[in-house]
Amino acid sequence: MNEISPNLRVVGRDVSRADAVPKTTGAATYTVDVSFPGMLHAKVLRSPHAHARLVSIDASKARSMPGVHAVATRDDLNGLNPTYGYFIKDMPIVAIDKVRYIGDTVAAVAAETELQAVAALERITVEYEILPVVATVDEAMADAAPELFEDEPMGIVPAYGQGASGARRLGRNNCYRFSYETGDAAAFDGCDHIFEDRFVFSRDQHFHLEPFVTVARMDGNVIDIWTSTQSPFPLRKELARVFQHPENHIRVQVPYLGAGYGAKNNCKTEPIAVLLARLSGRPVRFCMTTEESFLTQSQHAAILDVKTGVMADGTFVARSGSIWLDSGAYSDASPLVAEKAGYRLPGPYNWQHLNIDCDCILTNTTPAGPYRGFGGTQASWASESQIDIIARALGRDPYDLRMQNVKELGQAYVPGESGIDSDLRAGLKLVADRAGYADRVSGDGRGMGVSIGFKDAGGVNKPTQARVRITTTGAVYLECGSIEIGQGIHTAMSQIVAELLNTGFDRVIYPGLNTDHTPFDQGTNASSAVIGTGQAVQQATLEAKQKVLDFAAKQLGCDVDELELDDWSIRKGNESHPLPPMIMGYYGGTGYEFTGAGFFKPEMDHAAPLETQCVSWEFGWGAAEVEVDRETGLIHLKQLVVSGDAGQAINPLVCRGQDEGSAVMGLTGVLFPCMVYDGATLINGNGLDYRVPLATDIPDGFVSVLQEQGHGPGPYGAKSIGEGCMLPIASAIANAVEDAIGVRIRELPLSPERVLAAIDKAGQ
Amino acid sequence: MSGEFVFVSCTVNGTAEELHVRPEEMLIDVLRDRLALTGTKLSCDLGACGACTVLLDGKPVSSCGTFAWQADGSDIRTIEGLADANGALDPVQQAFVDNSAFQCGFCTPGMIMLARGLLDHDPAPDKSAIRAWMGANICRCTGYEMIIEAVEKAVLLSEGAENE
Repeated sequence: MNEISPNLRVVGRDVSRADAVPKTTGAATYTVDVSFPGMLHAKVLRSPHAHARLVSIDASKARSMPGVHAVATRDDLNGLNPTYGYFIKDMPIVAIDKVRYIGDTVAAVAAETELQAVAALERITVEYEILPVVATVDEAMADAAPELFEDEPMGIVPAYGQGASGARRLGRNNCYRFSYETGDAAAFDGCDHIFEDRFVFSRDQHFHLEPFVTVARMDGNVIDIWTSTQSPFPLRKELARVFQHPENHIRVQVPYLGAGYGAKNNCKTEPIAVLLARLSGRPVRFCMTTEESFLTQSQHAAILDVKTGVMADGTFVARSGSIWLDSGAYSDASPLVAEKAGYRLPGPYNWQHLNIDCDCILTNTTPAGPYRGFGGTQASWASESQIDIIARALGRDPYDLRMQNVKELGQAYVPGESGIDSDLRAGLKLVADRAGYADRVSGDGRGMGVSIGFKDAGGVNKPTQARVRITTTGAVYLECGSIEIGQGIHTAMSQIVAELLNTGFDRVIYPGLNTDHTPFDQGTNASSAVIGTGQAVQQATLEAKQKVLDFAAKQLGCDVDELELDDWSIRKGNESHPLPPMIMGYYGGTGYEFTGAGFFKPEMDHAAPLETQCVSWEFGWGAAEVEVDRETGLIHLKQLVVSGDAGQAINPLVCRGQDEGSAVMGLTGVLFPCMVYDGATLINGNGLDYRVPLATDIPDGFVSVLQEQGHGPGPYGAKSIGEGCMLPIASAIANAVEDAIGVRIRELPLSPERVLAAIDKAGQ
Repeated sequence: MSGEFVFVSCTVNGTAEELHVRPEEMLIDVLRDRLALTGTKLSCDLGACGACTVLLDGKPVSSCGTFAWQADGSDIRTIEGLADANGALDPVQQAFVDNSAFQCGFCTPGMIMLARGLLDHDPAPDKSAIRAWMGANICRCTGYEMIIEAVEKAVLLSEGAENE
């Protein structure tokens, strides 16, 4: 592993991260550190009711409180398109007709201090008419359930290709359905065995340590914002629509992000900060608390019914599935998550027939949105749990059954799709061997399970651009829109540029993002940067390099093929010609910049189910070993072996951090309580009561093994690595629990209560 | 707000500071807003996550849960006070750099101060002691193993420096 190709000098090396010194000395600037003279502080009034009509709201007393410069209620939205969202524009900046969950935004205040803002909020009088509440998916889908939206909000269903479709409002509180079908349903008829299981998925909160935060100000007629976002360009477009403001009069700047894990896509703190900045004429900082993060965004809880038909010899034949995602009170990214959960439910196996529906159900709880894994975590949980159920019923080893049915390298995922670009058997064998699967202790409270986490990577139809500028002295600016959210993108992209230019890593700088001049990018999400942006960066670098070589050939009066770029000199045979004097000789003493542009977008393809073929396929292989205490129901994780395939690791240490970080994040939904609701009231939504994994929760037997199989579409064969190892965790552990105590738990998290209940139910 | 102020005299990163603070003002507010030491980060505001960890007389504390007046007469170290005047990193910082023991970096100042506090208390902790100590702070990015290995590395770097 981690063998470095002899031809590579910078790529494949563990160079110190580009952000290492700022982040270890406290010098790194995050949005929370941005400040302006006269800056006001925003606070919002949140609904105490899960579902209520807004009868009246009186903020007149708040407006005259000390230090208050602006108050925003539904009466301050004139001239705006006051609702936003991804496919469906249903989320208001502040409540207009109703509140739909506890924590919904009712009003906002900007004051000179946060304390003054909080004091002013207490003087806002709101009259509510309480409405019946739907706190769960089952309640929301019931025949007589109250609708969160009586009228259909504005929205779209995107175009899909072969076998895929979308629909809206098919039932009570159903805001979106994604469907995928291929092959003949009669395939089920010929199966020797049919398995039908219901799986329930837990609801984690991202718990990004940097809160949602935005600083907004009016710079003349320019809306000027610094914000902690993963998707500044779509955000700019959405703000232009909401505020009816020209897009080129909106400037979005993104400092370092204190993580996001999906949560920081689309509008969060931005609309309120902008609205209050416009109303007050002052810079406004809106920084949420951790408690407010819990009331702003969560993962999707899910119910997954999976029906799978197999032959007696273990051959997989057909799978159908119905998935219900708990979308919370607003649609947010739910349609997109539904698309991914539904599309990923088959897993990387051979099927003759597939028929899957994934529905987004609105409930009176925190809006659910993008979360690392993006529906794939839910799908892998159900799919990889059921494979073990099938194996045990057939008397087969779960590992062997996977080996029998997985896709081959290069085989299309489904008709019209791109080929699988990892050797799945090699990955599974690797983690199983590392964990000692073949010689495992099985039973008597101890057992082992394996799983293959799976997702499509690179997003759908996701364009990205890049620009490379090289100055007279050979300093390189890499400009592209991938945000440094912690994944190491500044480092990885700079390594690629340095490699291609045959120069040192420290020659390359990756400036912070400013939508006024940074090339377009659709967003830092979908494990897309290395495989998408990476290709644009490669193209931009090679174009700039070609211009340098062409220039030098002209100056030296020779053919360009005779020249090589060697750091910032031109090598011609045994001669070395430094570039700076050559450049200044031609362009003058003040010098010049060579620029190159790059672009990447998958081709449109109507034969592909999602209208572009998937750029790459991301996997996380996992093996877990547990000891289960039958008296207490506690699961003791003894080993957790995970592996991702980086194709070619640009920076192996950074890749390791991605694999281990996503695996441990995946533990949250399995061995920790996650978001606990009492009806529609979240009872553990703060940093003290909400438990995420700590260093002391990680078993000594936790290890990641990085694969570099070399089949990725990114530069040098690189593949995505940011989400894969989150995906197999839940199923690998549940499979290990069954191996240990012979009971199958189909509901997450795997709490001691559930383990004990499952033991009781099994009559043991 | 009481309108009354408390006089606080302390040392921050080796510099004597004299401040009039409000009774309800927290140490993190003084560090970030008055002394412009923004490397220390506020996250959970409940003393649970440790992003705001600083050393108060050598002991790690949550600066979000420490009143500014509690710092009277004490010696405070923040992330900005670790590297020397020439920019040479503290062994803990250097180990975090070498081992890529951070991602988004928001927990990192607190993690580094927590580790510094450990090594000041015990210059040669074993891995289980490191794990137990570092279990005080939350990192949501790394999965912790690379942080723990960085602290082990910092022990080696410190020993190496002493032997030079």
